[in-house]
Amino acid sequence: MTNEFIKIKGSIRQRGFNLKKAAALSLICLMFFLSACKGGVSEFEETREITVISREDGSGTRGAFTELFGVYTNMEGHGKVDATTEEAIITNNTAVMLYCVSTNPYAIGYISLGSMSDVVKSANVDGVAASLENVKNGTYKASRPFYIVTTQSLSAPAKDFISFILSDGGQEVVESAGYVPALAGREYTPSVDSGKVVVGGSSSVTPVMEKLKEAYGAYNPGIDVEVQQSDSTTGVSSTLQGICDIGMSSRALTENEKHSGALAETIALDGIVIIVNSINPNDDFTSEQIKGIFLGETAYWDSLEK
Amino acid sequence: MKSKSIKEKVMHIVFLAAAMVCIMAVVLICVFLLANGVPAMGKIGVFNFLLGKTWRPGQDIYGILPMILGSIYVTAGAIIIGVPIGIMTAVFMARYCPKKIYAPLKGAIDLLAGIPSVVYGFFGLVIIVPFVRDTFGGSGNSILTACVLLGFMILPTIIGVCESSLRAVPEEYYQNALALGATHERSIFKVVLPTAKSGVLTGVVLGIGRAIGETMAVIMIAGNQARMPKGLLKGVRTLTANIVMEMGYAADLHREALIATGVVLFVFILLINLCLAAIKKGVEQ
Repeated sequence: MTNEFIKIKGSIRQRGFNLKKAAALSLICLMFFLSACKGGVSEFEETREITVISREDGSGTRGAFTELFGVYTNMEGHGKVDATTEEAIITNNTAVMLYCVSTNPYAIGYISLGSMSDVVKSANVDGVAASLENVKNGTYKASRPFYIVTTQSLSAPAKDFISFILSDGGQEVVESAGYVPALAGREYTPSVDSGKVVVGGSSSVTPVMEKLKEAYGAYNPGIDVEVQQSDSTTGVSSTLQGICDIGMSSRALTENEKHSGALAETIALDGIVIIVNSINPNDDFTSEQIKGIFLGETAYWDSLEK
Repeated sequence: MKSKSIKEKVMHIVFLAAAMVCIMAVVLICVFLLANGVPAMGKIGVFNFLLGKTWRPGQDIYGILPMILGSIYVTAGAIIIGVPIGIMTAVFMARYCPKKIYAPLKGAIDLLAGIPSVVYGFFGLVIIVPFVRDTFGGSGNSILTACVLLGFMILPTIIGVCESSLRAVPEEYYQNALALGATHERSIFKVVLPTAKSGVLTGVVLGIGRAIGETMAVIMIAGNQARMPKGLLKGVRTLTANIVMEMGYAADLHREALIATGVVLFVFILLINLCLAAIKKGVEQ
């Protein structure tokens, strides 16, 4: 009897407690979400800190970027050492890089020209816009080659695939994928009609290699091409070990790799684009300014040397 | 009769084999970690490795103190945010919640546990990072952001364990407290909750384990700067993030140093499990 009474009393109290509290809670939640969804700041404040976003140590894109803009110091015994500021946010992924820059008004980062997207703004370097045209005619300085890596003992199907990549047909594919063709004037004639080719390596080169593989299927359907995505270092080392027939690399070979018998050939040129948020009024940098930002010497947007 | 006993024997062996697979996995992981990681620690020097403040693989400098501190700070922050919310939710679920709300609430919490961490990471990137940036300043990819997100992520673990331990407290305790004149709230917080203490602690420790091992979500929002943590609104790199970020490109000593980082993480998890065992022992006594 008393037990039941307590239960009834408890349930009455519970109901009263809950209606008020639930209303208050939902109000708080609503306010939180409203303030969170308020979204990006519409005004760009020049006094804010620059958010530098970089790729991880060892990435081909980062290697090419630091080399091209001189973001390194010379250190005894080590040669050129990457000197990207320690404050830089590090991401190991182009998509996160794009997202961070597209949502953070004060961010600056870099990506490959082929991955450029409308959600961010590409900045001019020394007054030159980052475009396919300008990389091609050599006015846009920040470009790097994409390599395929092979060894002396190359299989016949792999040779055939490479001769396609370097032919006019293959180079057209490269251009339509948003990169700059490396050479012109070669014809492709199939030399073998069956076999298998394994291509592996850099995640930057993989998209264009996939397109090349598709186009190659139309020319020589008998040869099966398999593209494996990893990274430049893995691509080169698995080619040397014979796991892959052709390696893909977005950086030049190291002395060690050359000694082990790796041979590199340029298949395309890729531009490196400096990206900023679309509301950022600063979209024309000198190479010196970019170097200063990524070395950490320029910390605020209003301290950029004009 | 005989065939039955043979069947039982066979099944007995099958069960034993299943148990062995589990144990073998643990043993193999331990052997792999120690065999690959410990020599690297020796090469770098244990003190240089554990207490070194600089991580520059390009120059063969491997100090993981920034990452150790990063992991500890982020986990501590997650506990500060997640534990009070978790325990209070558990109390609500076990003692206050009307039946009508209970089922959807329970379902929501279970769903929270099932969301893949990369989705949490994306949520953090889209909602929490801009929120922290606009409200507190800085870039938004910071210790604070990671703490808030991890605080959310450990909620289901804490709530689940705490709620079941609160329910395990005999009903008489609560009723006797009421009979002595205590209010509903007082009986819960002074009698029921202290009785369920060990279960609550278990929940918290499991939450710590989840927070320290989280990788994908943290990588996306924490900034990943490999330097000593500088403040709540500055970025940080955790042990797990350090391994994942650089594994793809690492070679030679760099790769071994990353595995050694894994050993340190493993020791952390081991300590957490020892804590759990100690708590359980305390209950039995």
